[in-house]
Amino acid sequence: MAGPGFNSPFGANANPFGSSRLETGGMQRVAEEDENDTIGSPTTPHFGLSGGGLFRAPFGGDASFDAGASGVRNPPNPEGYPAQYNFARRTSVSAESLKPAADSDDNWTPPVHPKTPEQLERLKKAISGNFLFSHLDDEQTAQVLGALVEKPIPAAGIKVITQGDAGDFFYVVEKGSFDVYVNSSGALQPGPDGMGEKVSTIEAGGSFGELALMYNAPRAATVVSAEPHCTLWALDRVTFRRILMESTFTRRRMYEGFLEEVPLLSSLTPYERSKIADALESQKFPAGHEIIREGEPGDSFYLLESGEAVAYRSGNDTPVKHYRKGDFFGELALLNDAPRAASVVSQTEVKVARLGKKAFQRLLGPVEGIMRRTQYVGVQTGEAVISQRL
Amino acid sequence: MAATVAHSQTIPPGLHPLQAAALRSASSGQLQQQPQHPQQRDFDDEPFDVTSRKLSVSDFVRVRTLGTGTFARVCLVRPSHGTEVDRAKVYALKILRKTEVIKLKQIDHVRHERQILADVRGHPFITSFVASFSDHEFLYILLDYVPGGELFTYLRKFRRFDESMARFYAAEIVLILEHLHEQQGGIAYRDMKPENLLLDAEGHIKLVDFGFAKRLGNNESGHPVETYTLCGTPEYLAPEVIHNKGHTTAVDWWALGILIYEFLTGYPPFWHQNPIEIYKQIVEKPIVFPQEPPISDAAKDIIRQFCTVDRSRRLGNVSGGAAKVKAHPFFKGVDWDAVYQKRHRGPIIPPVRYPGDAQCFDLYPEEDANKEEYTNEMADRYDEYFADF
Repeated sequence: MAGPGFNSPFGANANPFGSSRLETGGMQRVAEEDENDTIGSPTTPHFGLSGGGLFRAPFGGDASFDAGASGVRNPPNPEGYPAQYNFARRTSVSAESLKPAADSDDNWTPPVHPKTPEQLERLKKAISGNFLFSHLDDEQTAQVLGALVEKPIPAAGIKVITQGDAGDFFYVVEKGSFDVYVNSSGALQPGPDGMGEKVSTIEAGGSFGELALMYNAPRAATVVSAEPHCTLWALDRVTFRRILMESTFTRRRMYEGFLEEVPLLSSLTPYERSKIADALESQKFPAGHEIIREGEPGDSFYLLESGEAVAYRSGNDTPVKHYRKGDFFGELALLNDAPRAASVVSQTEVKVARLGKKAFQRLLGPVEGIMRRTQYVGVQTGEAVISQRL
Repeated sequence: MAATVAHSQTIPPGLHPLQAAALRSASSGQLQQQPQHPQQRDFDDEPFDVTSRKLSVSDFVRVRTLGTGTFARVCLVRPSHGTEVDRAKVYALKILRKTEVIKLKQIDHVRHERQILADVRGHPFITSFVASFSDHEFLYILLDYVPGGELFTYLRKFRRFDESMARFYAAEIVLILEHLHEQQGGIAYRDMKPENLLLDAEGHIKLVDFGFAKRLGNNESGHPVETYTLCGTPEYLAPEVIHNKGHTTAVDWWALGILIYEFLTGYPPFWHQNPIEIYKQIVEKPIVFPQEPPISDAAKDIIRQFCTVDRSRRLGNVSGGAAKVKAHPFFKGVDWDAVYQKRHRGPIIPPVRYPGDAQCFDLYPEEDANKEEYTNEMADRYDEYFADF
């Protein structure tokens, strides 16, 4: 840190060579060291501790054969440097460019391959613990399960994926078992031992090749059927990523459309609305659920995504307002801590998008500031309408 | 690279023996491939202004490779003709092989790269775009040469930076991100890492490689729309990219958190031999700091605030944007105008001996491993997409 009177904010000791040798002999030494030390670079593969660590297995799934790799994850050495970290340059990765159908005028719908309820149940279980699937909502999960396509592997010894090859599919084992081989060279080699060492076996319910769902990377292992009459389910990257993208894109545009209709938020820029759409949380309630309760302090605002709801005020059995898709309620909670003016109860199963006051303020600051941008007149909004009427 | 210029000039004095050898073999290899190439231009005394007309690769002499990627190579080049002053200039020429660009489905990305580099030209901490051109097989982007080499090289050499060094670089990067994100529509850079930060002769940052940069508001309405293509570097990917939730400029703030962590410890917070394990950690694990070296509370806090999974809580993305970043205690005492005006020299002064000195860059093979032909059928189908070059 800068001491008083020192005009650099970056401190006097910023240079590792000491302050006086900066651009003369000190740095010259750096260049000289290049010749005989082993600081990592793609052209010095003998660098330090890499060894097996240079091999970054682009392979996921069941990944039990990865045990060797994770086993070497030693605690940092006494100098605070993890011994197994590969200090070489890191390569960028990229999937193919994806654009939502709404932007590119093609009518894409996810493929559906029918399955029995038992098959669906097994598949659901097989992917449930996988971090690439665990965050999906019900619709996305249903679409992904529907898109998995059956792939019979009739004989033993068939290579499903080959180490070093391009990878486009993720597989779940429905029936049979598969052996996983890794050749230390990083790719399948010709000859009888070309597959390398057998590192594990994947049984029914297991899966492999999940990195292919993210981008095209060379396969890190060869996977071979270990018995006849095996069955796999396969899912390709583009289908998987499009399912996620299309549903997210559609939902976000829907949220932005809803938000445009909220007078309280009319002065938001499209960019701000898109940020708010980020922070909306989807929630589902069964029919008859009290979403907000009259008299309680409000901390959230709700958009009705699907289903119907009604507002009641105490002492009155007749609903004072009906809400349908695209309607909103509770927005005054963004503005103040006044108690809810009415209760809102779902009439059917409903899906709402909830926006917390705190999230709103973190993203855009206080609503008062937003309102001050335009003359905010006429509180023609959810509960406020009710209070005016009553 | 077959299509680049044939002849190399004399080998500069003081060159590392390996560099000199690479240079000699590279130039002899090229001579064999391109015997028909003119080695001498007739109009040597005519002034040559790289911005005044459409360029071709024969306007340059390749000195040596500065870096390679999956479908691109960056070379140090000199003008092949012009006045003595013209020919003394040096540039970095990024050479992209069309067949690889197409095969790796990167057409959109290279188009964005060229356009965005031209749009953001002139920022003190971004590599300066000079011109672009193309021929049958390659696309070319001509850039100012930044002689200090990659910050990556220095970071690995010193193992880690102390906080004042990390702060110096982080401050310059904050100004870059502020500038990019506040462009019309918002530009997300999407590949922040030490490998993409070069040092100029005074030790200031120059951000290079805009291969994944994207203007978010490029639809008709012009307002920013989240984007979905997974790209970046495994250790630096934000959780929303891994989960394909649609991402925005917020990914760059996440990556800056990873970068500051790597500056201070020498390695990124999430790492593993298997990239899938890195991604699991990114979406599931909190950032953990090592016992050694000791990291200040302010530094820990800014890293944690950048590396926040919930984007409605992520510093840089929350209300206040870059201004809030600048006001964070980690940057206490930083005079942001002085940073922008480069009033202080960098903590590392690269050992650059003359303007075209490339000793700060590592050596790379001068030959492409993959030289698939760009056929006329491919040209008919794809050349329209490269019309901007």
